[in-house]
Amino acid sequence: MNHVPSTYDGVADVAAVLVLLTEFAMLRAPLLRSQVRLYAFQSLVVTVLAVVVAATHHIDALYVLALLSFALKVVLVPGLVLRLLRDADVDLAGSSVLGVASMILIAIGVSAFGFFAVGSLHVHSASLPTTALAIAAAVVLVAFVLIILRSDVVSQAIGFFSLENGVSVASLVVAAGLPLVVEVAFLFDLLVAVVVFGVIMRVHHGRANTLSTEELDRLKG
Amino acid sequence: MGPSVIAPQGVQALQVLTILLGAPLVSGVISHVEGRLQGRRGPRILQPYYDLAKLFRKETVVTEESSWVFLVGPIVAFGCYLIVPLLIPVLTTYGLPLGYMGDILGGAFILALAGFVVALSGTESGGPYAQMGGSRAMTFGALIEPTLLFVIFAVALITSTDLPYALAATVRSSASEMVRPGHVLAAIAFFLLVLVDTGRIPVETHSGTLEFGMIDEARTLEHSGPPLALLKWGAAMKQLILYTILINVFLAPWGLAASGSPGAVALAIPALLAKAMVLGMVFAAIDNLFSKLRLFKITEFIASAFLLAVLAVLVFYAGGG
Amino acid sequence: MSSLLVALIALPFAVAIVTYIVPVGVSRILTVVSGALTFALSLALVPTAAAHAQVTEGSTLRVDALSVVFLVATAFLYGATAVFAAGYLHLDPGPTGTRYGRRFYALLNLFCWSMVAAPLVNGLALLWVAIEITTVVSVLLVAIDDTEASTEAAWKYVLLASLGLGIALFGTIIMYYAGTTVFGSAYDLSYVKLLAGAHRFPPDVVRLAYVLAVLGYGTKMGLVPVHTWLPDAHSEAPTPVSALLSGSLLAISFYAILRFFQIGVRTLGPTFPRDTLLVFGVASLLLAALYLLSQRDLKRLLAYSSVEHMGILAIGMSFGAPIAIVGVLLHVLAHAAAKGTAFFGAGSVIRKFATKDLSKIRGGIGALPWSGPMLVAAVLALSAMPPFGIFRSEFLIVAGGLSDPHDAVAAILVVLVTVAFFGLSWFTSQTMLTPDEPAAADGATGARPLVKGEVSVWIVVSMVLGLGVLLILGVHVPSQLSQLLDRAAGELRSPR
Repeated sequence: MNHVPSTYDGVADVAAVLVLLTEFAMLRAPLLRSQVRLYAFQSLVVTVLAVVVAATHHIDALYVLALLSFALKVVLVPGLVLRLLRDADVDLAGSSVLGVASMILIAIGVSAFGFFAVGSLHVHSASLPTTALAIAAAVVLVAFVLIILRSDVVSQAIGFFSLENGVSVASLVVAAGLPLVVEVAFLFDLLVAVVVFGVIMRVHHGRANTLSTEELDRLKG
Repeated sequence: MGPSVIAPQGVQALQVLTILLGAPLVSGVISHVEGRLQGRRGPRILQPYYDLAKLFRKETVVTEESSWVFLVGPIVAFGCYLIVPLLIPVLTTYGLPLGYMGDILGGAFILALAGFVVALSGTESGGPYAQMGGSRAMTFGALIEPTLLFVIFAVALITSTDLPYALAATVRSSASEMVRPGHVLAAIAFFLLVLVDTGRIPVETHSGTLEFGMIDEARTLEHSGPPLALLKWGAAMKQLILYTILINVFLAPWGLAASGSPGAVALAIPALLAKAMVLGMVFAAIDNLFSKLRLFKITEFIASAFLLAVLAVLVFYAGGG
Repeated sequence: MSSLLVALIALPFAVAIVTYIVPVGVSRILTVVSGALTFALSLALVPTAAAHAQVTEGSTLRVDALSVVFLVATAFLYGATAVFAAGYLHLDPGPTGTRYGRRFYALLNLFCWSMVAAPLVNGLALLWVAIEITTVVSVLLVAIDDTEASTEAAWKYVLLASLGLGIALFGTIIMYYAGTTVFGSAYDLSYVKLLAGAHRFPPDVVRLAYVLAVLGYGTKMGLVPVHTWLPDAHSEAPTPVSALLSGSLLAISFYAILRFFQIGVRTLGPTFPRDTLLVFGVASLLLAALYLLSQRDLKRLLAYSSVEHMGILAIGMSFGAPIAIVGVLLHVLAHAAAKGTAFFGAGSVIRKFATKDLSKIRGGIGALPWSGPMLVAAVLALSAMPPFGIFRSEFLIVAGGLSDPHDAVAAILVVLVTVAFFGLSWFTSQTMLTPDEPAAADGATGARPLVKGEVSVWIVVSMVLGLGVLLILGVHVPSQLSQLLDRAAGELRSPR
């Protein structure tokens, strides 16, 4: 238990923890704008992490990937969502079923589960410390909690996008050498998914004049 | 020609004295800086000493309903605050004889005892604000406990003991220790804990009495004269103790005397006070940057601190981070 | 041979682009032609795939027997749905209708392209990309009608399906990691490589990757408990899209799970992968059977029937006996035809009666002299009535199950299928077979009396095609197809 990670590992781990903390902050953020900005910040940390891995392990393909993901996840997607928010003129996130403190406690429990589930795998990675993989799993699980407990389309969409951030961190840990073509294909797919999300959000807003999902429960049984 | 090395008992006594005499100074610096940041001249730095002297000269007024607990409480609390400096690394890097009486957990217990006694004596008086403050303080104190425990666990995980001296030594040993995410998280969690325990923004306004939001301030509302002086002094000492733990165990455990030589010890005292003043200025800055949280939102704040502490422990478990 | 693969991948995509530009009438015919051609091309692959191990084109495209089974099922439904859509779509004259028609056909062809591409691509990564494209395009198709209900369905669909695919991506990455322990970093996730090295992968990692893949792709397949988007999306989409969603897309998602299954049995042995599928399969079958008893919406009923059949597929795979696996693959083909035909018939009924509500539809056989009885036949086929294909496939599955230590599960399967049969047959008798109430003499009910007769001949043709395939599969499976199924089952068998 007491092996001390190197300074590089420590810094990388702190960055990964920052990603997780941003996820938790999204649980709390009452304004939709702040959620989007938190997502942009989270994507920025992931991009920086990718650049660090690329620099220290000399994987040139990752530079391209980092650039693309910066353009896409830090600039484009938050920009699009913020524009949607402006057009829709909605500020507040939908209130969730539980209070913030309860949500944080649930999210803590869930991420502890993720930590232990992945930590027991004894994954050894050359590019990032294995703690980062456990943290990525926790990010994914907390994103789930976010999506389940929130009740408006933007929060749910941001939750989904941040889940992809978690998967990106995981891929940095275990799949840094994945062929560039494949990674670009993943990113492109994400872009298209974002577009579709945006389309549906606009359609929903145009139809129901709200971004809340509380009315979306007509189809039952 | 003085002794080449100060005896450990002497150093231990010096630790208590440093905290005792230095606490009002640190308080004074904080109030002064806070005033300056707000654009005022701020009270003079030595003001707390004058306040204590004045209070000792005044008479004690006691309500009819209260009993001996009301008067004994402040004395017991003060006593506790005198004991804790024996247990923590205030001046030295090595453990002192009485320092093994209790570890961090023991220190936390004694601090909690002090808080409990103060709240009890405040409630005893029958004044509504004092009772309200006492119950609030106890509630939030209870909510803070899990965070404190997890921070202690984190410390224990790093060093396999929960003696604060050991952690300080480990943190000093290399840069990689400082940037361990577990250590960083535990330090931040403890920082937030200190915020709550010393009653600063965003939990409570330190200056002025806002009845709706008072927690710690309210407990002492009914006391007067020497007991009030002891309470105020005790509060300042608690603040300095917590700062000392934060600095000497987590953040900046340098400048401590490595041996008993008078020079080293003499250097350690101002080093500690200087570091505490810097930390105090940080708190003053926070005071002016954020606004006080509504009372029921304080649980969110505490939950965040808890989150950080739990994450610290988890990160240690998950990968030796 | 390999040029066939290129043609298969290029054709629907090219058609999709063209249909966006040309007038709707042309698109209609073009889509039918494209569907028929794709089906023909896929059939042309059958003999080769049945005989040899695989056909490849470069490192991106590859088919083996397993892929061809799913390819044939999808391509058939592509063609049949194109025929159906030609008769089903009622477009407003004028610009809105043209815009809708253009968007519809372009998206339809794109959707079918992505579903055809999924079995054609080589490797887990490209597979994920293909299935992600199917999700994205099908969401737009579900929302294309722009009603409140369809928006709600589209939102739930996009959210849940994307979540599922996010998990599947995570699983793919973990599987990639498992491969790096053997191949070092920087290799592609091609099937051959993965299968060759699978027995040396670390078991815990593969276990996690497999479970994530089942959960993630299972969301798209409609396995309980992550199926909640399915009834909404399949009932609110335009009927041709519903047919494709139920008949093909669920099967393609199952194909993705099977690819992970192949790796899983080589690393972990047969027990764990099978048991996982068993749990999900029984849950799906149970829930679907129960829900089928209480449905009031026609297309929702058929959607739950799809969940039921996906559960049967999962249970069949969990049996492990070779005969059960052959049954499962045959079931994929038969279900595509049967579900497609059922939705075509439902579309016909909806057009005729202008409602999806089961309580308002009466006397179907009288009103629709051709598609009515054929709908009844399709629903009976779905309930595993001989001489249709599903009877044969479920028979094979149950036979495989009875020879297994899990024979209790086979019994449960039969019971639940019977429950589902009750649910479906109640609907059939109520809507189709009860005679229509005669309209009041003075027209006081206010309902427009129904004009008897078919809505469109295209619809009838599509249903005939579907039932024809079902009959062939049920009465006598052509020998080449049978060989193909056997070889594919062999690929799925555990080597231990």
